[in-house]
Amino acid sequence: MKIAFIGLGIMGRPMALNLLKGGHQVTVWARRAESMQPLLDAGAKGAGSPAEAAQGNELVISMVADAPDVAEVMRGVAQGAAPGLVAVDMSTIAPAAARQIGVDLAAAGVDFMDAPVSGGEVGAIAGTLSIMAGGSDAAFAKAKPAFECMGKNIVHVGASGAGQVAKAANQILTGMGVLAVAEAFAFAAKNGVDRGKVREALLGGFAYSRILENHGQRMLDRNFKPGFKSWMHEKDLNIVMQTAHELGLCLPGSAATAQMFNAMVGSGMGEEDSIAVLKLLERLSGQE
Amino acid sequence: MKVGFIGLGAMGRPMALHVHKAGHELCVWARRPESAADLPATLCATPAELGRRCEVVFTIITSSADVESVTLGTDGLSEGMAPGSVLVDCSTIAPDAARHIAAQLAGKGIHMLDAPVSGGAQGAIDATLAIMAGGEAAVLERVRPLLHCLGQRIVHIGPNGAGQVAKACNQMIMVAAIEAAAEAMRLAAASGVDCAKVRQAMAGGSAASRVLDVMGERMVGRDFAAGIEARLHHKDFGLVLEAARKSGVSMPLTATVAQQLNALMAQGWGRDDTASLLRVLELA
Repeated sequence: MKIAFIGLGIMGRPMALNLLKGGHQVTVWARRAESMQPLLDAGAKGAGSPAEAAQGNELVISMVADAPDVAEVMRGVAQGAAPGLVAVDMSTIAPAAARQIGVDLAAAGVDFMDAPVSGGEVGAIAGTLSIMAGGSDAAFAKAKPAFECMGKNIVHVGASGAGQVAKAANQILTGMGVLAVAEAFAFAAKNGVDRGKVREALLGGFAYSRILENHGQRMLDRNFKPGFKSWMHEKDLNIVMQTAHELGLCLPGSAATAQMFNAMVGSGMGEEDSIAVLKLLERLSGQE
Repeated sequence: MKVGFIGLGAMGRPMALHVHKAGHELCVWARRPESAADLPATLCATPAELGRRCEVVFTIITSSADVESVTLGTDGLSEGMAPGSVLVDCSTIAPDAARHIAAQLAGKGIHMLDAPVSGGAQGAIDATLAIMAGGEAAVLERVRPLLHCLGQRIVHIGPNGAGQVAKACNQMIMVAAIEAAAEAMRLAAASGVDCAKVRQAMAGGSAASRVLDVMGERMVGRDFAAGIEARLHHKDFGLVLEAARKSGVSMPLTATVAQQLNALMAQGWGRDDTASLLRVLELA
């Protein structure tokens, strides 16, 4: 398939490379031209703008930072689009913003789908991302061969915005999950108990989770390199809390977690992995 | 002096009347002209027209977006107000929005103060509002006689936006205190103790507060008709948490209270008094 890929950051670059590996013809565009070089070296074509990237392609995929970036990129795509083009945004943005972009693009004859991912840089490189799609059946069918090059667990969740709702739910679970493991470890340590042994014991029971296993191990190793940066998790939790505010939805656990992530960003840990919330807990309880 | 008023709700209407009573000539604009009925004022067709007629304009409306559209939008105040005239925005909006509007108006030589108020509808009627001003000190001095028609406690907090920061702090403390009063009433009731007696006893001690006085009484009497509509506090908490996020500050209590307000909204009590936080506790 002829696919345009826009946004070649820490996630977008390996995702686009996996599309090339899957035998697709890929055109790329990125705000910083040097980001395009690794893809051009691997056989992709370069474009001068999102509009140019969209021209002559059947599918456009974007992977950028935030809702205003997606809206801007997609305005360009709409200018270059032939009728019937499917545009898929895989960034994490607010469900309401995704729905609005969908409405705007429909007016230009573009079928828009939100399809955020979970699995981080590791999943993007390995092509094992979880992909949560929201939009029409036709758009999903069109994008599916591309999704299969980038991910393993691919679910068409529902209509426009539904993918972002699933992603927000994912961030609730992972945000609170990381905080829960960090609190359990702080609790063990303050009681003079070896947290490694606690983790080992819990992995066999109902408290088992991938977060306890993977993030827990990195907490034990005190390896705070990202992974998933705290400021990005903070941004995603803000999407959750804003949506809850708009809907009149009581989310006390997410609210408390979001405040911890605010404090991480404010105290200079924004570029570290979200497991650095352990350090914040240790500081609050005099465990440093 | 010719004074304009935009926003003639529970707060704006009595404020406008106080300014008129002090001998000033009143011009008003209202999205729904009927809300200006029976006011001793000239009704203007657009904010721009009101701006052309007045030396000082007060606005007291709901959201950042509303204030932006009334000031900077098509037919907005900025199209009419003369260089050297003063906009006093008494609305509660985001500090960032206040700074943005002030900067835009400054480009046309129009002065602005963010001057949110505390004291509620009763304070507006009694002219006992607390006024928290952000902007240039000299501009505040020019309009201080007008502000004195509305309340005696007028504090210059700092530059533009500072008044809104003070108001955000005010809202955090007040609504958290309402939640604390509600939880105390809930505990007393659940323990089979007379809430009225508990409130009465506390009024003389270290926990005494205006919130406990006013909101505590509403809770005891189960009178949830609005003084201040809870939806406005809900809106304010959205602003406060957004400001906390932008500053990288952790506010665990405010965040928890915000969730109780979300639950209140979900129950459809947004137009009732914030004392309804007691009813939220009774749901669980």
